[in-house]
Amino acid sequence: MNKRNHQDTSGGAGYGGIRKSDFQSKAKIWEEGQDAGGGGGVDELLAVLGYKVKCSEMTDVADKLEQLEMVMGAAPNLLRDTVHYNPSDLSGWLQSMLSELNNSPNTFHDRMLQSHHIDDPLHVPAESSSVTTNSQQQQFETTQSSRIYNDDSEYDLRAIPGSAAYPQTQDRERNQKRLKTSGGSNSAPPLLPSSSPIVGVAAAGTVSEPTRSIVLVDSHETGVQLVHTLMACAEAVQQDNLKLADALVKHVELLAASQAGAMGKVATYFAEALARRIYKIYPQDCLDASYSDILQMHFYETCPYLKFAHFTANQAILEAFATASKVHVIDFGLKQGMQWPALIQALALRPGGPPAFRLTGIGPPQADNTDALQQVGWKLAQLAEAIGVEFQFRGFVATSLADIDPSMVDIRPDEAVAVNSVFELHPMLARPGAIDKVLSSIKSMKPKILTIVEQEANHNGPVFVERFTEALHYYSSLFDSLEGSGLVPSTQDLLMSEVYLGEQICNVVASDGADRVERHETLSQWRVRMGTAGFELVHLGSNAFKQASMLLALFAGGDGYRVEENNGCLMLGWHTRPLIATSAWQLIVSDSP
Amino acid sequence: MAGSNEVNRNESKMVVPLNTWVLISNFKLAYNLLRRPDGTFNRHLAEFLDRKVPANATPVDGVFSFDVFINRSTSLLSRIYRPAHGEEPQINITDLEKPVTAEVVPVIIFFHGGSFAHSSANSTIYDTLCRRLVGICKAVVVSVNYRRAPENRYPCAYDDGWAALNWVNSRTWLQSKDSKVHIYLAGDSSGGNIVHHVALQAVESNIEVLGNILLNPMFGGEERTESEKRFDGKYFVTIRDRDWYWRAFLPEGEDRDHPACNPFGPKGKILEGIKFPKSLVVVAGLDLIQDWQLAYVKGLEKAGQKVKLLYLEKATIGFYLLPNNNHFYTVMDEISAFVDSNC
Repeated sequence: MNKRNHQDTSGGAGYGGIRKSDFQSKAKIWEEGQDAGGGGGVDELLAVLGYKVKCSEMTDVADKLEQLEMVMGAAPNLLRDTVHYNPSDLSGWLQSMLSELNNSPNTFHDRMLQSHHIDDPLHVPAESSSVTTNSQQQQFETTQSSRIYNDDSEYDLRAIPGSAAYPQTQDRERNQKRLKTSGGSNSAPPLLPSSSPIVGVAAAGTVSEPTRSIVLVDSHETGVQLVHTLMACAEAVQQDNLKLADALVKHVELLAASQAGAMGKVATYFAEALARRIYKIYPQDCLDASYSDILQMHFYETCPYLKFAHFTANQAILEAFATASKVHVIDFGLKQGMQWPALIQALALRPGGPPAFRLTGIGPPQADNTDALQQVGWKLAQLAEAIGVEFQFRGFVATSLADIDPSMVDIRPDEAVAVNSVFELHPMLARPGAIDKVLSSIKSMKPKILTIVEQEANHNGPVFVERFTEALHYYSSLFDSLEGSGLVPSTQDLLMSEVYLGEQICNVVASDGADRVERHETLSQWRVRMGTAGFELVHLGSNAFKQASMLLALFAGGDGYRVEENNGCLMLGWHTRPLIATSAWQLIVSDSP
Repeated sequence: MAGSNEVNRNESKMVVPLNTWVLISNFKLAYNLLRRPDGTFNRHLAEFLDRKVPANATPVDGVFSFDVFINRSTSLLSRIYRPAHGEEPQINITDLEKPVTAEVVPVIIFFHGGSFAHSSANSTIYDTLCRRLVGICKAVVVSVNYRRAPENRYPCAYDDGWAALNWVNSRTWLQSKDSKVHIYLAGDSSGGNIVHHVALQAVESNIEVLGNILLNPMFGGEERTESEKRFDGKYFVTIRDRDWYWRAFLPEGEDRDHPACNPFGPKGKILEGIKFPKSLVVVAGLDLIQDWQLAYVKGLEKAGQKVKLLYLEKATIGFYLLPNNNHFYTVMDEISAFVDSNC
């Protein structure tokens, strides 16, 4: 198995000092490699450019290209409404188009009947600490909506247009077929860390060599001085030169005060965090849960990151639930339940009628002992009743996800399960063994789909200064996006959003050990971890991409926010800097007993 | 004459390595999906399909990169590529714009290709190419993320190129020891076209550009030239798609004799007597539009301008994207010599 990653340029892709004399010998190696079939290796030159093609498949891929060209020439409109997945996997991408062309046109309903299947998850006895139930009897008559692929339709951020969210079932079949037949990493047995180059070829950098993506938001003189002083302070802190660090942090605060815009604000938060670290005055207990929820709500209103997270995760869940009559979503961080109204509405609009929908919401204990989970569950129940979706809610209080005993979560037979985690997995990295326990719990819930949204950054490195630098770049971009998106949020929303982010900065910079919960890791790193744990990707496609892009354009008035496709996952970034990543997973189906 | 599809496929397959054929055919297929007959462009799908890569301040093979705003209000970004100097495992954010230290540092302003509609500065194919240029020319490369057609027609791309040129010219940290920024313009396909027009504007505004590098530059005209007829559909490109891109870029109602498309045509500018930069023009012998490219070279010669033509007989479009053919190395050597010769 070819373990070389795309940074290793001995294959002739070196950037400097290329000489013609080197070429002859390298050309021979390439030719030999291609003639001999190349074994299991990927073509390195294409890999550098973002395309994974096995040497042994090259001829086959070329054939597929020729076939498609023939068809396109004859009937150019045939593939116009195709949903595309993972363009990096060239063979799979081409095959999915060929399959679509080979299928004779069927009605959507015929396809649905053909592919109807029922999940059979493990039946676990029910035990829980807090139960809220609402059952609805009425069924909702749905009308077939035809707003799929309509460029002109208006999308309300709070609701996903139901049928637009449902790809043709044949696409789903194609997707699942692709996962099995494509030569890519998705159909392989659990990946070992050394295989990471194949997992994330399009993403630069391996787990050990971080990619540092910077968009310089401020080249202004003061801005540079500010950053310089911050870095020097971080260095001093790392070297335990606290006297120097103290002097520097005061200087930063001075400079930051006269720095307008995002840079000044970011610097202020980082300076405060550094000061806390210097004086060791980090609060031991974590933030009051209800306060943290409020902050997140303001963040939700001010910028599209959470909306993107919810939207893309819901998209994957809807596709996974397309034909299920009973569905159960387990939300690892219910908070104010902002993700679920849109899903409930989309389920209501599902052709053929909505499924029975159960939601299990997990949340931390409340300081004032109120049952926040129940309150959210109640609100959602009211919405569900109003639009005719049979709904049940159960809340679980847990200090940590690692405390959840999967048998407590009432998984019933014949229900399709989705586990949803928006920014809830990275805190598990703060305690040894916690993440493994959580992933293991998830596996025992036998989910049809697991949706994960995480920050796209490595804030979990062992070296303080590196962590600090990474975080500085990351939050600079985030703060810049708050300022620069063109919409003017209310002053309070903006301020609270900044405080929300400031809390994260504080945690990354000032705390350590079990207290440091903002241990963000990149998608590349999560891919490896998930593969090792026995999960494989369910690709997010061009339909989700397009709708997410359109929603962003509506929300932010265009410009800075960018959706990017990354090997089957979607990322949202500010200009060229990806900031959050959504990925969808399922248990690896092994063919051998 | 186009000939049968069967013949065409075999022809193009015979002149390039298989992985190159796959790469360029993949683009061809993808691009066909994106262009709509009514002249609109499926931008969402284009962005979905395009392989992109973030900038990286950690040096890889002696090159690091970061993105900057040339113009905040128009969101005009550029990706800057700089050589790392051995010792540094990581570049501090404060050192990204550290002044260049060599006696003479060429600064290459690069305009990526894509027929004015495709690709971006952070497209992987162009990130890779720019990184090579840093090593080959010991230069700083500034890759401009110019606005694309059909959403942004002429002269947007040129305006963005012009903004970038001014920005580069005014960076003190890019100055060589003589307190001047040593600027070269380079680009492939539509990028090559942009090079010409930005250079023209530079001359008119007295900004010195030391040289133009045009790789398979995109030019055209109303007339159907011999090469267009002979190569139509044979080596990945058709007349029809070329027409589509010009219709998407040129102002509505304008034809291909517009000077943006046909700089030495009936509406072209006179270049005699002006101090136009020396040019290196690379023409692929199997490129559909070579007659227009050759006409461009002739136009420069007739105007008394210094131009070197590098004609690669058996090269197709995109040969410079993969280092697996002789043409690639020939061109890299020529570019290196072209940028070096001023020292």
